[in-house]
Amino acid sequence: MTEDGKKGLGEGTTTIFVCRDSLEGILCGVYDAWMSRLGHANVALELENQGNIRMFSQYRQVEETSEKTEKVISAICRKAGQEAYEMVFRVSLSREEEKADRIYRFLVYALNCKMSAKDMLQIPAVYEVFRIDRSVGNEAHLLKEFARFSKTREGIYVCTVKPKNDVIILMAPHFADRLRGENWVIFDQGRNKAIVHRADQGWIVVYTDTDRWKERLVESGDQKEFEQLWKVFHERVAIKERTNYVCQRGHLPLRFRPYMTEFGYRLGHD
Amino acid sequence: MLIQEQMSLQEKLAVLSDAAKYDVSCTSSGVDRKGKKGMLGNAVSAGLCHSFAADGRCISLLKILFTNQCVYDCCYCVNRRSNDVVRTAFTPDEVCTLTMEFYRRNYIEGLFLSSGILISPDYTMDLIYQTLRKLREECRFNGYIHVKAIPGADPVLIEHVGLLADRMSVNLELPTAEGLRSLAPAKSRPRILAPMRQIQRGIRTQRTEVIPCERGRQFVPAGQSTQMIVGATPENDYQMIKVAEALYQNYDLKRVFYSAFVRVNDDSRLPVLPGGPPLLREHRLYQADWLLRFYGFGADELLTEKQPHFNVFLDPKCDWALRHLELFPVEINRADYHTILRVPGIGVRSAKRIMAARRGAVLDFPDLKKLGVVLKRAVYFITCGGRMMYSLKIDQDFITSQLVGNEHKRTWDITNRDSYRQISMFDDGWMSPSPGAQDVEAAVLGQL
Ligand code: SF4
Repeated sequence: MTEDGKKGLGEGTTTIFVCRDSLEGILCGVYDAWMSRLGHANVALELENQGNIRMFSQYRQVEETSEKTEKVISAICRKAGQEAYEMVFRVSLSREEEKADRIYRFLVYALNCKMSAKDMLQIPAVYEVFRIDRSVGNEAHLLKEFARFSKTREGIYVCTVKPKNDVIILMAPHFADRLRGENWVIFDQGRNKAIVHRADQGWIVVYTDTDRWKERLVESGDQKEFEQLWKVFHERVAIKERTNYVCQRGHLPLRFRPYMTEFGYRLGHD
Repeated sequence: MLIQEQMSLQEKLAVLSDAAKYDVSCTSSGVDRKGKKGMLGNAVSAGLCHSFAADGRCISLLKILFTNQCVYDCCYCVNRRSNDVVRTAFTPDEVCTLTMEFYRRNYIEGLFLSSGILISPDYTMDLIYQTLRKLREECRFNGYIHVKAIPGADPVLIEHVGLLADRMSVNLELPTAEGLRSLAPAKSRPRILAPMRQIQRGIRTQRTEVIPCERGRQFVPAGQSTQMIVGATPENDYQMIKVAEALYQNYDLKRVFYSAFVRVNDDSRLPVLPGGPPLLREHRLYQADWLLRFYGFGADELLTEKQPHFNVFLDPKCDWALRHLELFPVEINRADYHTILRVPGIGVRSAKRIMAARRGAVLDFPDLKKLGVVLKRAVYFITCGGRMMYSLKIDQDFITSQLVGNEHKRTWDITNRDSYRQISMFDDGWMSPSPGAQDVEAAVLGQL
């Protein structure tokens, strides 16, 4: 039975729960789909604005409440463990359109599984989430390595990135620990979103637009000098007799380079 | 010797990074340290690679010499006394500025400071000590520091430096005492091993102390490493890995690095290697080194006095498996971890995943692919549920020809240098760490 009292349109009709592209949105979608009692095979989760309307499907907008979100989180942590929850969190940051439904399928398995569900990679529902998690995790990891900060006139360290997945939130704790005494910003150019950290105080996520942002990005006096020094070092440390650009590209994909000092990036000139 | 006093910081950096580049270790691994209020930096045990140079090697640390002046005349070294090159030295302040400013911009994980011998080992070690003290105490730098222990320096100085650094290294340079005598007469085996032993003792004593951090800082918390040059002297692969094994067992070394010999000096005592630096040999040594450290192999299993060279066409693990076909095939659903780890095509990560996943179900070949097993290599050595993937005869010649086919291109790539592509050594069991690539020890220990 559906909530509005009508019998479903028979076998083969899917009810699609449409959720916002965010952790909360997806978890509330999981809640609504699960609690609808339509049967896991008859429901699906989709993100908003996906465009491709499916025939013979009913669409329902997911309503977000913090209560639902918390209930789902606590169920995951209790039944599948903290690590499974962290996985779901990272998968929710992916750019893959099917991620909401993948999370749902994973939870259907994980919340009923007696074993550590996340290790059962032979199960397709687990493998898909593992795969997405790995690619989000890899990108976040590489950005911790390849992110470059430039110092502005106001003494703020600014880093611009354009990640495929929404990973700046995964970078934040790392830099908040090592650069704790600095004011810094990590700006996601594709999403107009930034992590802003204040010295010795912590960080927040802010939404902003590129133009307003750019006005403030004026280099500090010594920025150019250190950029130049870094380029000199980067060039000199290579052994000529072992030159190997293919190997270099394998480790450091070209897509990261537009934002890296040693490959020509300059603050405010992109 | 041309000593340049009036050089700009940029010119000094150019000279002193150029002079440091032949030291291959550039990892920032082995210690986890949280940030501290009022300080800059932390340390991540798996290590981070901030960039890759044009030679494909990882750049993790600001790798520089304090000075390239040197009173010694080691045959293979660009900085030897008899070479007519521009000489210069940093001041401690300059090293601190570079480290701090680079670190804040996320260019580096920290500093790797080495040096030519200026005046005497003690004098040089003291300069390094002054620099590190300034960096830690005045600049409040809490990131990673790797520093060279200078053979012949006063143990008291080494002790002090060790309390400021994360990792220390003393380069063995050449695997045998004869090699050392012929190419680096001023260095002797005992002189190199003495500081190594001292550092090992320092680390061990600290481990047994009740309150290890009583004095505030730990002694060389990321352990020590060393480097051997490959191909400058006639030692064979077997001798090299025997030495490496002994260093791991008797000196508790964290890493042994191998550096393909680059002929920087025209000197009749040095070999002329027509193919350039012996990169494939270096690569095989790294593979074997991983087998020693993470796969439970002993050096004598991989090579023997009668067969002292690695197979050019096969990596050491495949080579070993082919010589031990009587131990295969192994059953994926039953064999223990250590047996599975020895199967070609199965790495540390995939072996762990197999152990975890088979608790839930009987695994079959398609599942193994998802667990990261490289079936192309593994098929000849495993069964799933008692079955082999193809009905193959286990015959050494046949398997060899199959594996060599796979391997041939890779080998060709390495020797021809242009398309030497690295693969993750944990995902596919065939382990190909790039020289100086990050240690992924944390991953092996299951922290990932
Ligand atoms: S001691 Fe030998 S290897 Fe070291 S810098 Fe001097 S000449 Fe070079």
